[in-house]
Amino acid sequence: MAVKVAFMQNSDCWGCHQSLLNAHLGLLPVLPALDIVYWPAVVDFKHDSLVARPDGDILVGFVEGSLRTNADVENAKLMRAKCQLIIAFGSCSCYGNVHGLANEWDIDEVIKRKFEQVESITNESPHEPKEHMPGFTSKIVPLDEVISVDAYMAGCPPKPEAIISAVQFLLGQKPQPMAELSFCHDCSLNNENCLLEKYELCFGPITSMGCTLKCTDNGNPCVGCLGPSKTVSSRAEKLKNMTKNIDQLSTGDKKNLHEFLTLFLNVPLMSGFDLSGDILKQVRRTGEPKTALADVPADTGEIFANTMRYLKNNRDFIKISTVCDQCNLQIGSKSQMTRVKRDYEGLPNMNDCLIEQGYLCAGPITRAGCGGLCMRVNAPCSGCFGQTAWNVDQAERFADIVTKGYNVALTKEELLAQMKDKLGFSEKFTLAANKNYR
Amino acid sequence: MTKEITVEPVTRLEGHGGLRLVIGDDGKVKDAQFNIASTRFFEKFLEGRYCEHIPRITPRICGICPIPHHLTPTKAVEDAWGVTIPEPARKLRILLQNAKQYSSHMLHFYALAAPDFLLGPFADPALRNVVHVISKMPDVGAMALKMMDFGQKLCAEIGGKSVHPISAIVGGMKKPMDEAARDKFLKMIPEQVDFMKKTVDIALKVVTDYFDVVANVGVVPTYYLGMTKNGVHDIYEGDLRIVTPDGKKIDYDIHNYLDVLGEHIPEHSYATHMYYKPAGYPDGIYRANTLAMTNCADKMATPLADAALKEMKAKIGEVSHHTFAYHWARIIEAVESIELIAKYLEDPDIVNPDCKTLDVQPREGNGVGVTEAPRGLLLYHIWSDAEGICKKANLLVATNHNIAGIEKTLMHVAKQVFEDKALEGLKLPDPWID
Repeated sequence: MAVKVAFMQNSDCWGCHQSLLNAHLGLLPVLPALDIVYWPAVVDFKHDSLVARPDGDILVGFVEGSLRTNADVENAKLMRAKCQLIIAFGSCSCYGNVHGLANEWDIDEVIKRKFEQVESITNESPHEPKEHMPGFTSKIVPLDEVISVDAYMAGCPPKPEAIISAVQFLLGQKPQPMAELSFCHDCSLNNENCLLEKYELCFGPITSMGCTLKCTDNGNPCVGCLGPSKTVSSRAEKLKNMTKNIDQLSTGDKKNLHEFLTLFLNVPLMSGFDLSGDILKQVRRTGEPKTALADVPADTGEIFANTMRYLKNNRDFIKISTVCDQCNLQIGSKSQMTRVKRDYEGLPNMNDCLIEQGYLCAGPITRAGCGGLCMRVNAPCSGCFGQTAWNVDQAERFADIVTKGYNVALTKEELLAQMKDKLGFSEKFTLAANKNYR
Repeated sequence: MTKEITVEPVTRLEGHGGLRLVIGDDGKVKDAQFNIASTRFFEKFLEGRYCEHIPRITPRICGICPIPHHLTPTKAVEDAWGVTIPEPARKLRILLQNAKQYSSHMLHFYALAAPDFLLGPFADPALRNVVHVISKMPDVGAMALKMMDFGQKLCAEIGGKSVHPISAIVGGMKKPMDEAARDKFLKMIPEQVDFMKKTVDIALKVVTDYFDVVANVGVVPTYYLGMTKNGVHDIYEGDLRIVTPDGKKIDYDIHNYLDVLGEHIPEHSYATHMYYKPAGYPDGIYRANTLAMTNCADKMATPLADAALKEMKAKIGEVSHHTFAYHWARIIEAVESIELIAKYLEDPDIVNPDCKTLDVQPREGNGVGVTEAPRGLLLYHIWSDAEGICKKANLLVATNHNIAGIEKTLMHVAKQVFEDKALEGLKLPDPWID
C-alpha cells in the first residue's frame, strides 16, 4: 500500500522540486510507493483538501521554502498538524537561505525598496499590496523555530540521490531484511573474543550474514553494511541493553554508530540529511501504513529506536565533515594566499585549494553533503549546505580556520580587513539561522 | 448575492498563485484577480553584495530557470564594468541557456500542461498529473523523462549544477566543456532529435484535437514583449521588441527599458503588473513568454524551427492572441533549442580554454543585462560602486511580465464561461487516457 506524502511550498524557488524531478528515471521505482495527497507543483489537490484531512493523516510532510510571509508560517503549522513526520526540505526551511540576508534590514525598509522605490514603478503613491495578501514576517527564521522538525535535508537544492534515498528510507523501502541468519552465525571471533562481551558496539546480532570482507577478521565490529537479518542471534539482547545506555559512547563507538546509521539504516547523513527525532520509532508506532520496517524482528526494531533516540539528543555526536573533506583540490598546495582575490580575478588552476590561490571559498565552514560540486567547475563554495557551527561570527570563524590550517600568508585580522561583504560571503544561506542578527 | 469563486492554490504552477472571481447577482463577472502571495525581496538584499556574487545568489529566484538568473546578472555586471567576454565563453553560455530552455520547455509541456490535454478538462483532479500520465503512457513518460534528463545533465555539465549553476563569472566562464563530456552529449543528439520529432507530432495532434479551444477560448489582444537579434528569435542577446495588439513591431535598446516597461503595483498581488509605458496602464498590458517570442520573431534561428513557425503563423496569423497557442509556440522554441544545442556541441570553441578574460576591473556605474528565460524576458539592472559592490538592483523577472496579462485573460475567460456560456458548444476530443 502506498504511503501518504505531502509537499508544502513556502516562499521558495521550486528548485527542490526540480531537483527531485532531476532524478528522472530514478523516480519510476519510487512513485508507485507514494500516495501524493498535496503537492501544488505537480498535482491538483487544493489547500482546502489539506485542511480537511484528519490530524496525523499523512505520514511524511516535506516543507520547503523560507518563512517570509505570514501564510508561510500558517502553512508550516498546518503541515505539522497533518503529518506524522516533518522534513525540513532544502536550505530555505533548514536555514532561511539567501532570503535570510534580508534580516540585515528592518522589514519596513525591505518592503519600501520593493513596493515604493524600485526604478520601474509608475504608481503615483505606490505601497505594499494588502488586499487578499498575507503580509510579511518581520524576520525570516528557520522552520524549526516555528514547528518541531523530525528530519533535515539541507542543500540548495538537496541532491536528487539524497532525496530519493531519504524517501526510500522514510518509506521503509530500506532496510529490507535479507538473510535469514545474522552475521554472528558467520563471525570469525569466538565467544570469548566477542566484541559485545568487551562492551564494544557491534551490530552483528541484527545484521544479515553473507559478507565476504568481515570487519571482525581484523578485530573491528560489524557496522551493518548488509542490512537487517530476518532473525537475530542470541546476542541481540546484549546489544539491545548496550544501546539503551549509549549516552556515554567512546570515540570508537561513535564512529561505529555513525557507520551503522549510514550503512544499515541508510540514513543519508552524508548527503545533508539529519534526523532530529526517533523517526523509525514513530514510523513503527503508526502501524499503518505497513512498511518494511515493521517486518524486522522486535529486537532489531528496539535497537533502531534506541539509536534514533540517541541521534535525536546528540545530532552532532560525530564531527560533521566540511566541504573541504569532499573537495578534490589540494590543501597545502604550492599556492599561497597573499591577499584576498575577488572571484572575477584571473582564472584559478584546477589543482590547488581555491583559498590558497587567494579566493574566498566557504568550504572550511560549510558542512559536507554536496560532494564538492562547485569546485569541480573552478567556482568557490558559497555555503549552501549550511554551517558546521552556529550562532558565531562566521567570517571570523572562517578567518580563524584558514589562517591556521591552510597556506595563507595573511593574519586573521588582515584577512578580515580585506573581506568587504562579510555577511554575504559567510552567511549567504544561513543568516536567518543566526540569532545575533534578529 | 454576489458569488466569490476562489482557486487556492493554482496548481502545476512554478510559484504561488491563487485565483479569485467575483460574480454579481446579475451573472456578470465583477472582478477577476490573480493573487501572487509571495515575494522575497531580492531587490533589497542584493545591496552591499560583491557584484560578482550576485549571479551566485539570484538563481534562487527560480529553480526551474536558474540558468538565465545566473547568466543575466553576470551580463549586467559586465555591462556596468565595461567587460567584453571571449567568444568561446559567449558560445558556452548560449549552449547552457538552450540546454535549460530545452529541459524547461519539456517539463512544462509534459509535466505541467500535458495532463490537461491528455486527460481532458473534466478528468478527476486526483489523476490529472504527470505521475498518472507516466503510469498510463509509460513510453511517452519515459521519453519525456529522458528529454528533461538530457537538458538538465547538459546544464549540470556546463553550469556545474543544473539547479543553481555556478560556472559563469564576470569576464566569461570558469572553465570550458570537457572534450569527453562534449563527445558523450554529441552521441545523444540523434536520439534527442528523434524524441523532439515525436513530441512535435504529439503537440500537433493536441493542437488539431483542441483547435476549437485554441481558436476560441482566451483569445485576448494584448501587447507582447520579447527579444530578437536583428528580428531573429534569440534567447541569449538582442534588443527588446514590443509587438502591438495590431501587429506593429517596435525595437528598443535594452538600456532604454525604463522608457518602455512600466511596473504598476496592484492592491492584490505581490507580483507587479507590467505594461508598455507609451500605451499607459492598463491599456499597455503585455504578455511575454513563448507566444510573445514567436509574435516578435520575424524568423527562428534554425531551419526546422523556422519551418514550424511558418506553419503556425499560417494557421493562426502573423501575430496571434490565442492563449492556448502558447503551448504550440513552446514546442517551436524547443525545436530551435535542440537544433542550437547540436550546432554548438559541434563548435570547437566549446572546449576552448580561452573562455575567461583577465581584463576585468570594477568601476562605478550601472549596467543592464537581458536574456529570454523559459517563461519570459529577464532583465537585471545593477548599480556598482567603484569597488564593485552592489549599490542597488532592479529586477524584471520572467513570470512577472505575464501577471497582468494572465489576469486580463482570466477576466476574458471568466466572461466567456459565466456570461456567454461560450464553452458549452466547444468541440472537445475524447481523452487520450483516463
